[in-house]
Amino acid sequence: MKILYFAKLKQLIGKSEDHIKLNKSLKISEIIHELTKKNKKYATAFNQTNNLQYAVNCEYVNKNSLVKNEDELAIFPPVNGG
Amino acid sequence: MNIIFQKENFSVKKEIDSFSNSNRNSGSIMSFLGKVRPLNENREIKSIDIEFYEKMAFYQTKKIVFNLLKECSINDYTIIHRYGNLVPGENIVLVLVASKHRRESFIFLESIIDWLKKKITFWKKENYLTSSKWIEQ
Repeated sequence: MKILYFAKLKQLIGKSEDHIKLNKSLKISEIIHELTKKNKKYATAFNQTNNLQYAVNCEYVNKNSLVKNEDELAIFPPVNGG
Repeated sequence: MNIIFQKENFSVKKEIDSFSNSNRNSGSIMSFLGKVRPLNENREIKSIDIEFYEKMAFYQTKKIVFNLLKECSINDYTIIHRYGNLVPGENIVLVLVASKHRRESFIFLESIIDWLKKKITFWKKENYLTSSKWIEQ
């Protein structure tokens, strides 16, 4: 599965995307829990970015949504275009 | 009906003239231009970086427009939003709307700008003299 990071979250993690293999569907919150165990950068980034938003295949979802291996998950702070 | 995300600046006059010329049968042409401010909370802004998630920005903009068109009957629209590094005074976003009467244009224009702030995947980072800060809502 492809995971994309944007804005402050991307800056704190130090990269724009990750690819992980999912053998079964998982909740986004479970994926984030796994990511924060990867290293201190992830833990700090997720901890220091407020009001994170989630999108699966470009649709907004909440962190209890399930994602599968074929999905593109995006995680980012609230948008502020315009 | 155009949605354009681009790095380069655009000419407001050229865009409005071109839009107006291709909408000769509309009684109302309305525009909104968003620009980079020189100050935010009394801090001098040297530049801003605009980042976006292109695929989702297109998808969400199209979805928002699709839903708005059910509510207000407009003839045409153009949305241009820039990304990259911009300095104060530069254009960020231009929305043009053409409709038979002004009311529909007002509704469409205001709604699109509101949705841009809420759903369309752009983020801004302000760069000051010695530091930077991501703008959070």
